[in-house]
Amino acid sequence: MQTVDLCRYYQRGTHEVRAVDRVTVGFERADFTAVVGASGSGKSTLLNLLAGLDTPTSGHIAVGGVRLSSLTRRELAAYRAKRVGMVFQSFNLVSHYTALENVALALYFNDTSPRERQIRASAILERLALADRMGHRPHDLSGGEQQRVAIARALVKKPDVIFADEPTGNLDQENAEQILGLLSELNRDGLTIIMVTHNIDVARRYPRRVVRMDYGAVVADTSGNSPDGGVA
Amino acid sequence: MTFRDCIATSTGNLWRMKLRASLTVSGVVIAIAAFVSMLSFGAGMQKMVADQFEKFGLFSTTLVYPPRGEGEADSVAHAVLDDAAIVALSQIPGVKLAYPLDAFDVTAAIADTTIRTEAQALPTEALGTKLYSDIVAGSTLTTTGTDGALVTEDLLERLGIGDPDSVLGLSLVVSVEQTTIDSGLVYVFRGGIGRMRQLLAGLTLDSLNRPEYVRRKVGQVASDAMARFLNGFLSARAVVSDTLVVRGVLRGQSHGRARIRPIVAPTATALRFNAGGFVGNPTDLFAALQTGMFPSGGDGGTQRSYPRVTLDLETNTPYQPIRDSVEALGFRVFSYAEEFDEIREFFFYFNMVLGVIGLIALITASLGIVNTMVMSIVERTREIGVLKSLGADDRDIRRLFLVESGLIGAVGASAGIVFGWLITRLASVIARSVMESRGVPEMELFALPLWLIGTALVFGIVVSLIAGSYPAARAARVDPVRALRAE
Repeated sequence: MQTVDLCRYYQRGTHEVRAVDRVTVGFERADFTAVVGASGSGKSTLLNLLAGLDTPTSGHIAVGGVRLSSLTRRELAAYRAKRVGMVFQSFNLVSHYTALENVALALYFNDTSPRERQIRASAILERLALADRMGHRPHDLSGGEQQRVAIARALVKKPDVIFADEPTGNLDQENAEQILGLLSELNRDGLTIIMVTHNIDVARRYPRRVVRMDYGAVVADTSGNSPDGGVA
Repeated sequence: MTFRDCIATSTGNLWRMKLRASLTVSGVVIAIAAFVSMLSFGAGMQKMVADQFEKFGLFSTTLVYPPRGEGEADSVAHAVLDDAAIVALSQIPGVKLAYPLDAFDVTAAIADTTIRTEAQALPTEALGTKLYSDIVAGSTLTTTGTDGALVTEDLLERLGIGDPDSVLGLSLVVSVEQTTIDSGLVYVFRGGIGRMRQLLAGLTLDSLNRPEYVRRKVGQVASDAMARFLNGFLSARAVVSDTLVVRGVLRGQSHGRARIRPIVAPTATALRFNAGGFVGNPTDLFAALQTGMFPSGGDGGTQRSYPRVTLDLETNTPYQPIRDSVEALGFRVFSYAEEFDEIREFFFYFNMVLGVIGLIALITASLGIVNTMVMSIVERTREIGVLKSLGADDRDIRRLFLVESGLIGAVGASAGIVFGWLITRLASVIARSVMESRGVPEMELFALPLWLIGTALVFGIVVSLIAGSYPAARAARVDPVRALRAE
């Protein structure tokens, strides 16, 4: 996955906000990358652009050699449905669905049969130790459990990459450790993970690579295992 | 997202907001119920007319009239609706039976009551047609030459007889006043020689060479002769009476032009009354003078002309070829099938008006759907964002909201049809009791044909889909990035 001179500008009144400004960065398969930066640095916008949820003002993103800008809206939706998994800070589970239904929902858009949806959703929830929570609605689950359901929802469609936007932002230390451990484990199994976080400590400990953004631009790009992580 | 998933998801969404959805559905229910009950009335009226037409065989009944004679070609204007014409009419392909209207004024006495009324003669074959088959008591007349007669309920009502069965087998004394050309001519020449003397005495011989004088005198004589003729024609009436037996009672429906006269007798029986010449109405005389068709007297009037001939057609005979054939013979045609087409056209517009009123109610209800769906978008913005992040495209979102509004329409329309039907049942019960209290024959004013059920269902769903199209388009346009940030 490669971005070239990627820009995303917003017009706010007469003022132009350069959320992402001429970002050229590549992401390797099976890598675990943390995108760090202060609030408003453009890291979430970059994530949305990579996930095909947002459209760049200029520049482009190539995934497996295919430019996202060349895809139609339906093709872009199919890209999100089949190749991308997303995890959000606020979980974004559908409140009136059970954990099982929330996970199965991710398979509604990639031609999976209802029976297959149930089987796969159950299996992934069991794998994430949520077998006894399948029939629970989000408000009956703890924050950590909700985020694990959200990760299950991202994983169930067997994506190429998971985009996690502040996945531990709403969790306590213990649950945050669990979630980061889970993401690391998934990465070790070969899944590409690109995680946005403003927590330097998190960025230092788990990801293998850290990309630092500031004012919409990439200002550092280094291994997370370096002494200062490039993020000090 | 498959259509099945859409249905399941939308049903779940509507179920979650039960109160709001049920209130919105109620609007559709009321609108569809109004639509159904109003159109049901139109359909009921149309069905009632169609049933009457069918019951009395009017779809296969055509009436033939003599030409008006005004502004028509000579050959056409002189076409006479006589026995020869009846034979010609009966030979038109598709015509099963042709019989004339042979009606006359009579005095009828039954059960010690005497009234002036009308009678009509019918060939036995015509008595077997649907038009004369609505017998409420007794049976129809099957053989010619009997003394049997049918009477109508209307006649019994005038006679003050309530039970039709009570008149079966009773004697019906029918009297007919007859007058003839002969009786008029006798009056012209009454006084004979004395009148001639008077005439001659009044002449001034010297003046006979003056044309003006002669013209005036001839005019006076002709005028006097005509006055005497009419006086004799109208005054010297003979009364012919005969006793018939009431064999059956007809419902006595009036089918517009084909009104059944209060007394119906076979032609052979009726000949006993009108064999001598003109009967009752002096206009018959003038009609005969116009057409040159005088009755020969005594042979049943083989040269008689008739005011109308009824054609009983084979079932499903198209009326246009019949019309063409009859008009080619120089006669005018009235077809009940054509009239029914006009009635059907009337009901089409009638139903259109009722439908538009119902549609207005439905459009009002659809505003409720728009409101509900827009509210739903506002509440579910974040959910829409989630769905898009999971791979839903604009079409999926649009379809999801359209299916929701379509479901509101489908449920509302289904319940509205049932509710509308209940309203018509209630109205029908009330109408029947009112009719009963006023002595009006019972009739079903409402009908719920399949086409109406289908139309109401389609209307309900289509209007709801149209109402849902704006919210659906708005939902589809939701920006997922903003939606995911929404609280």
